[in-house]
Amino acid sequence: MLNYSLKRLASAIPTLLLLITVAFFLIRIAPGGPFDAEKALPEDIKANLEAKYQLDQPLIIQYVRYLWQIVQLDLGPSFHYRDWTVNELIAQGAPVSFTLGALALVLAFTLGTALGAWAALKQNSVADYSTMSVAMIGISIPNFVVAPLLVLVFAVTLGWLPAGGWSYSFSHLLLPTIALALPMVAYIARITRGSMIEVLHSGFIRTARAKGLPEREVIVQHALKPALLPVISYMGPAAAGILTGSVVIERIFTIPGIGSHFVQGALNRDYTLVMGVVIFYGVLIIVMNFLVDLLYAWLDPRIRYD
Amino acid sequence: MHRRAQRRISSQTVRWLGLIVVLTMALAATASDRTIHRGLGPEPDSLEIHQAQGLSAFNVLRDIHEGLLTRDSSGQPVAGIALEWHSDQQQRVWTFRLDPEARWSDGSVITADDFVRGWSLALDPARASPTAHWLDPIESFRALEPHVFEVQLNIDTPWFQELLTLPVTFPMAEHPELSSGPFMLEQRVPGSQIQLLANPFFRQADQVWPDQIIWHVTEDPGAELSRFRAGELHITESVPPGRYRWLRQQLGQQLRVSPYLGSFFLGFNLSQPPFADNLELRQALSLAIDRRLLVERVLGSGELPAWRLIPPGLSGWPQSIEAAHANNDQARIERSRRLYQQAGYSAERPLEVELRFNTSLSHRRLAVAVAAMWKQHLGVRTRLVNEEWKVFVTNRRQGRITQIMRGGWIADWSDAGNFLQLFESDSPLNYTFFSDPEFDRLLVQASQASSAQRQSLLYEAEQRLLDQQAIIPLYYYVSRHLVHPDVQGFADNPMDIHLSRWLSLADRTDQNQ
Repeated sequence: MLNYSLKRLASAIPTLLLLITVAFFLIRIAPGGPFDAEKALPEDIKANLEAKYQLDQPLIIQYVRYLWQIVQLDLGPSFHYRDWTVNELIAQGAPVSFTLGALALVLAFTLGTALGAWAALKQNSVADYSTMSVAMIGISIPNFVVAPLLVLVFAVTLGWLPAGGWSYSFSHLLLPTIALALPMVAYIARITRGSMIEVLHSGFIRTARAKGLPEREVIVQHALKPALLPVISYMGPAAAGILTGSVVIERIFTIPGIGSHFVQGALNRDYTLVMGVVIFYGVLIIVMNFLVDLLYAWLDPRIRYD
Repeated sequence: MHRRAQRRISSQTVRWLGLIVVLTMALAATASDRTIHRGLGPEPDSLEIHQAQGLSAFNVLRDIHEGLLTRDSSGQPVAGIALEWHSDQQQRVWTFRLDPEARWSDGSVITADDFVRGWSLALDPARASPTAHWLDPIESFRALEPHVFEVQLNIDTPWFQELLTLPVTFPMAEHPELSSGPFMLEQRVPGSQIQLLANPFFRQADQVWPDQIIWHVTEDPGAELSRFRAGELHITESVPPGRYRWLRQQLGQQLRVSPYLGSFFLGFNLSQPPFADNLELRQALSLAIDRRLLVERVLGSGELPAWRLIPPGLSGWPQSIEAAHANNDQARIERSRRLYQQAGYSAERPLEVELRFNTSLSHRRLAVAVAAMWKQHLGVRTRLVNEEWKVFVTNRRQGRITQIMRGGWIADWSDAGNFLQLFESDSPLNYTFFSDPEFDRLLVQASQASSAQRQSLLYEAEQRLLDQQAIIPLYYYVSRHLVHPDVQGFADNPMDIHLSRWLSLADRTDQNQ
C-alpha cells in the first residue's frame, strides 16, 4: 500500500509539470494582456508596469523563473488585485470554498444515497418514480435558476435569511449550501439507485437472503457498500470541483471563494492568479483521485494495490 | 417551601434575561447604529493611491484619503486639506495653504512634505503607477513651508482643481497605511467587503455622521438588487440592465437615474476600406439610426439620445444636444439613402459590414437594433461579432480586422478635452485612427488658450470630428443607483461621485436625538 502511494505521488509530479507548462503558455497566447483596458495606457506607463512584473523578459525566462518560484511555493503577485499575492488570495478564498463545498458534499452524499437506495428498494413503485422525477428535475434545473429563486423566497420575500454576503454562520451558509448541493443530490440519487438495483439482483445478495439474514442486514451490510462504488468514483472529481468553489453560487450569494478568482483571473488576464488557481485545482484533483482509489480498496475487498 | 424556591428561580431568571436583553441592545446599538452599507461593484484593483485604477477603488479611496481638494455632496470640487489657494495670472503657478488641523489617522500633522512624498512616489517609474500620466501637466512641486505647497504647471490645465481630487494626487504618510480622510480601513476581505471606521483625527470629524461604512463587493448587479431588496444595502452601485420599468414600478423613487459624463458611440476604422475616404457612407450609416427609438425601446433606462460626442452637463459647454435632422425622421432617412447611393452602394450592391462589440447583453441588444435599422433603411448586411473583453480591446487597438466597433468614454474630469483626446492622431486611445491635422492643431491651440477661447476651440474640434463622421454618437450615459429612503445627503451629480462623509440615515438620527 505504501509502495503504491509513493508511486502515485511520484507520477503526480510530471502531471503537474505538464499542467503548469500548458497553462502557462496557453494563457499567454490568449489575446490581450493584463494591462489592456478600455482606457489604453500611454506606452511608457505600460512599459513601467511590464517591467515591474517582469513581463518584458523573454517568455522562456519568465517560465523558468516561474517554475523556480513554484518550487519555493510562491505563486507570485496578482497582476490585477495589486494589493495581494496569489498565495494570500488563495489562502483567503480556499477555506471559504472548502467550507461551503464540504457542507454541500455531505448534504448531497447523505441525501442522495438515502433517496437513491430508497428508490431502488421500492423499485417501480410510485415512491420510486416520484423520487426519480424530482431528481431528474433537480439535474435539469441549473444552479443559476435555483439560487436566485431561493434568495427571492427566503431572503427578499420572507426575510428569514440574508440574500448574500459571507460569515461562518448558519444563516449565511444555509442557502448557498442547498443551492450548491441540489443538483448533486439528484445526480447521486440516480447513480445510487441504478447501482443498487444491479447489486440487489446479484448472486451474493441472493445467497445472503438464502442464508436467512434479516433484510436490514442484507441491505446495510452487503448491498450498500458495493452499490456505493460508482458514487465514490463520481465523488472524487466532483469533490475537487465543488471544493474549489462554484463560480455561479459565489456570484449570486457574493461569497468570497476562489471560484470567482478563476474566472475573473482569466478575464483580467491575471496570469499569476490563473496559474495559481490552476495549480491548486490540479493538486486537489490529484489528491482526490488518490483518496478515491484508497476508498475503493476499502469498499471492495477484491481491489488490492500491491 | 417548594413554591418559594420556584419563585426565587423565576425572579433570578428574569433578572438574567433582563441583563441579556440590555447587553444585546447595547451591543446592537454600538454595532449598527451609524453604519451605512454600500454596494461597491467589483473588487477594487488596489487601495494604494498610486496603484488604483478602477472606479470601485476610487470610491473607497475617496473615503479613506483626502487631497488638496475634495468633492462636496453634489460632486463639485471644494476645499480639502488645502484651506485656500491662489495662482499667478497665467494660472501656471499655484500656491496652496494647508489646514493646520489636518491630521493623519495616528494624530500626526499632515504637512506639505507629505504631498511632496506622495507626488514623487507617483512619478517614480519603478512604482509603475497606472495613473501617473495624469500628472503630465505638472512641471514641478515643492513645500514652501510646512503648510504651504506650491505647484507649477507646464500647460493651461482648466481641470487642475478636479485633478487634485483624484487619488494619484493625495498625500502619503511615512507609514502608507495611515489615512488622511474621514474614514480609515479596518478590515478587508477580498471579494466580500471593506469595512471602514470613522477617523477620529479627521479635521472635520464632528461633521461626519457615519461611524462605520461597509462597502460590499457586488460583482453581479442582480445579486446586488436582491441584497438591496432584502434590506442589506442602503445604496447600490448599479442596477441590472433592462429592468428599468419594473424597478420604477416596484421601488419608485428609490431608483435614482441621473445624467452621467459619459458618451456611447460606434467608431469607424478609418485606416482601411470601406470606411477610409468614404464620408458619404459613414454619414449614411449614422443618419439611418433612430437614436430616440434606441434609448426608449432598446435601452430604456433614461439614457439620452446623442448626436454629438460631448455630453450635456459640462459647465460652459453649448447645450446643443440634438442635430437639426434629429426630429425629422423622414428627411433623415431620405438623406441617408441618398448618401448611401452616392457612396456607391445600392440594393443590388449592398454594403457588407462587421459590427464588433464586447460580450454583453445590452451591447448585443443595441447592435441587433442598429443592424436592423441599417437593413431596413439601406439594405446593409451586418455581421455581428461579439468578443471577449480583452480580445475586443486588443483588436480595437490594433485596427487590423475591425470595421465598426463599440466605443465609449467616461470622463476622468469634466472637461471636453478629456473626450476629444481620444481622436488625436498619436493618441494610444485612438482606435478609429482618425487623423486630421486641423483637429490636432485645434487641440494644441486649445491647450494654450484662455478658458473662454478654449471652449470655442474645443467645440470647433468636436464639430470637425463630427463633420468627418469618425464616429456615430448613439447615447449619453446615465448613472443608476438604488438609494434607501432613509439615506440623506445622496445628491445625483454628473460625475457620479458620492463621498460617504456626506451621508446619513434619517430615522436613526431621530432615534438618537
